[in-house]
Amino acid sequence: MAWAVRFEDVSKRYRGGGPRYGSLRHDVAQGFKRLGRLFSSDGTEPRGTLALDQVSFEVAQGESFAIIGPNGAGKTTALKIISRISYPTSGRVRVRGRVGALIEVGSGVHPELTARENIWLYGQILGMGKADVRRRFDEIVEFAELGHALDTPVKMYSSGMQLRLGFAVASHLDPEVLVVDEALAVGDAGFQAKCVERMTKLVSEGRTLLFVSHNLSAVEAMCRRAVFLLNGRVEASATARDALRAYLDWVDDRERRRKGRGTRIVGRGLCLERVSVHGADGEERYVFDSGEPLEIRFHVFAECALSRPWFSIGITDGRPGALVLCSMLEKHEGFDLTPGKHLVTCRLAPLPLGPRVYELYASVREGTGVADLLDWSPVGAIRVRLPETSVGPGAVTTPWIYGAVRVDQNWCLDE
Amino acid sequence: MIGESSELVLEATSRPALGQALRELVAFRGTILAFAERDVRVKYKQAVLGVAWALIQPLAFLAIFALFFGRLAKIGGDGVPYAAFALTALVPWNYVATTVSFGSAALLNDASLVRKVYFPREVPVLAAAVAAVVDFSAGLVAFLALGPILGAHLSWTALLVPLLLPLVAAPAVGLSLALAALNVYYRDFRYALPLSIQLWMFASPVAYPLTRIPAEWQLLYAFLNPVAGPLEGFRRVLGLGVLPSPELLVASLVGGVVWLWLGYRLFKAMEPNFADVI
Repeated sequence: MAWAVRFEDVSKRYRGGGPRYGSLRHDVAQGFKRLGRLFSSDGTEPRGTLALDQVSFEVAQGESFAIIGPNGAGKTTALKIISRISYPTSGRVRVRGRVGALIEVGSGVHPELTARENIWLYGQILGMGKADVRRRFDEIVEFAELGHALDTPVKMYSSGMQLRLGFAVASHLDPEVLVVDEALAVGDAGFQAKCVERMTKLVSEGRTLLFVSHNLSAVEAMCRRAVFLLNGRVEASATARDALRAYLDWVDDRERRRKGRGTRIVGRGLCLERVSVHGADGEERYVFDSGEPLEIRFHVFAECALSRPWFSIGITDGRPGALVLCSMLEKHEGFDLTPGKHLVTCRLAPLPLGPRVYELYASVREGTGVADLLDWSPVGAIRVRLPETSVGPGAVTTPWIYGAVRVDQNWCLDE
Repeated sequence: MIGESSELVLEATSRPALGQALRELVAFRGTILAFAERDVRVKYKQAVLGVAWALIQPLAFLAIFALFFGRLAKIGGDGVPYAAFALTALVPWNYVATTVSFGSAALLNDASLVRKVYFPREVPVLAAAVAAVVDFSAGLVAFLALGPILGAHLSWTALLVPLLLPLVAAPAVGLSLALAALNVYYRDFRYALPLSIQLWMFASPVAYPLTRIPAEWQLLYAFLNPVAGPLEGFRRVLGLGVLPSPELLVASLVGGVVWLWLGYRLFKAMEPNFADVI
C-alpha cells in the first residue's frame, strides 16, 4: 500500500537543552567562547538534546496511526516536523497530500473577537478559503455547540468553550493527512465523543490520521498501527495493540523498579534483609500473568529468640488500604524463630489481579499481638500482565485503566 | 487520490528557492488578508475613539512640529504654510512607523500560531503592512479635509498617492522582516525599536524639506534612506500639487528594493528555527 507519511532516519536536535530564545549578550559571549575554542583546538561535539534520534517509520494512506510514549519522547516534535512547523536536523520526512494539524487547538482563537469573527478569520488563517469557510460555517457552529453565543466576544466564554471553538474550526479543514495532538483532552465527555466520531469519519473517508495522545484507550480504539517512541528513539513500530503493550510494559517496568528498590528494614529485634518474589516453579521474578500463583519470601535476621511472630503481607495498587491482605493472624499459624537467619515463605493461590503494578507491604508483630517488630512498610513491587490471549478491541488498555481485580467472566444474551 | 506531484520532502536543507517562496506567498494571500483583517478588528474593537486614533498621532506631531520647527526654528515649508507642509509627510511617515512597529512584533504576538500552524512566516509581517493601510487611508481623508484649510494646494496630482505608497512600504516591510526575525532570537530589538523609529523620523525629511540637503547629496540620501524620495513625493503631490521628481523616486525605489531584499534574505535564513526558538 502507498504511504502518506514517511520518516527516514529523522533526527532533531534542540540547541542548548530545548527550545529557548537568547539574549544578544549571551550569544555574543558564546561567540567569543567559540573563538577561544578555535585556538585551544578541542573538537566541538554537538550540544543540545536529541528530541528525535534516527527515527524511521511509515504511515500508509488512509491509515490511522498513533505515536505513543511518555512525555518528552519526541511525539510532538515528530508531529511538528510533519506539519512543517519545525525542520529536522538530519534525515528526511516525506509527506504526500495536504496536511491539516490539530496541535493544541484553541491557540489561534482571539479573545477580543466574537465567535463569528473567529470562525471566519481563524478558518482562513488555518488555510481554508473564504468560500470553504462560508460553506461550512453552520456546520462549524453546530459542531462547537455555540449557536447561542455567536456574537459574544470569545473572552466571555469558558475556557472549555474556547477550546471547543478552536477544535471545531480546525476539524473542518479538509486535509488529506490529519495530525492530531492531544485534542481529546478538550471539553466534556460528550464533546470528546463527538471529536472521536469526527476523526473516525475522516478516516472512513480515506484520510490518513496521525494521532498523539496519552488517552491510550482512544488510541487502541481508533488506530490500526502505532509507533512507540522513547527518548527520541523508536522502541516499537507495530500494530497499535502490540505497540501499546510494549509501551504499557515499559510504564509498568519503570513503575515497578521505582517502587521495588529493595531496602533493608531494621525493626525491633528483627531485621528484614530483603523480600523476593517467585513463580510457582521457584524462579525469582517480578512480572506475572494475571491469575498466576506466586510465592513471597522474607529473608529475615532475628537478633534474639522470637516466639511465634505474626507476618502480614498487603498487596496494594496505590489506592488507600490493601487490595489483598494475607496474615498469619487469620489462620493462627506460627513458628518460633531462633536467633540468626531465616527464610519465611508465603505461597499465594492464583491471584485474580488486573494488569498493573502492585506494591507489596509487610509488617511483623510479636507473639502476644501487642507490639510491632516491624512497622507496616513497603517491601517491593510486582507487575501483573494480561495474558496474551486477550484480543478484544480494548484488550490492552481497558483493564489497565480500570479494574484492579480480574475474574473469569462469561457474557451471553439471555433475553 | 493524491498525486506524486504533491509530495513534500522536509529535511534540514529544504529551504525553498526565492521563486517558489514567492509563489507560495501568493497562494497564501487569503491568509495575509485574514491576518490583516483580524489585526484591524482587534485594534479598534475596544477603543472608544476607534479609527480616530489613526489621526491623533500625526496631528499631535503636527502640533509639536508646527510649534518648534515652524515657529521657533523657522523652517520653511517650501512654498506652503509649514503646518500643511508637515502634515503631507506625517501621514505617510505614520504608515511607515505603524508598519515597522506592528510588523516587527508580529511573530512574537502570534507566537502560539507560529508554534502550531504552518503558514509562510512572513505572512503576519506582511499583514501588518496591509493593516496599516487602513490607518493611512484615515489619515489621508483627514488630510484632504484639513490640508486645504492649512494652505495645501490640492490638485489632481493627489491621485498619484496610491503609486507612492508602495515606495514607502518597500523599505518599511524590508526592515520589519529583519526586525521580526531578530526579535524571535533577541528580545533586545523590541526594546530598542521605539527610539530607533524616532531617530529614523528625524533622519527623514518629515519635519524639514528634503531641499535642506545639499543638491549633490540628495540622490545618495534618497538611496540610503529609501523613504526620503517618496516622502518628498507625497509632499509635492499633496502639498504643492506638482509632479514628484523622478530621479529621487528611482533612487529611493532602488534603495527600497535593496532593503526589502536584505530583510527578506535575513528572514528566510532565520526562518527554519522560528518555531523552536520563539
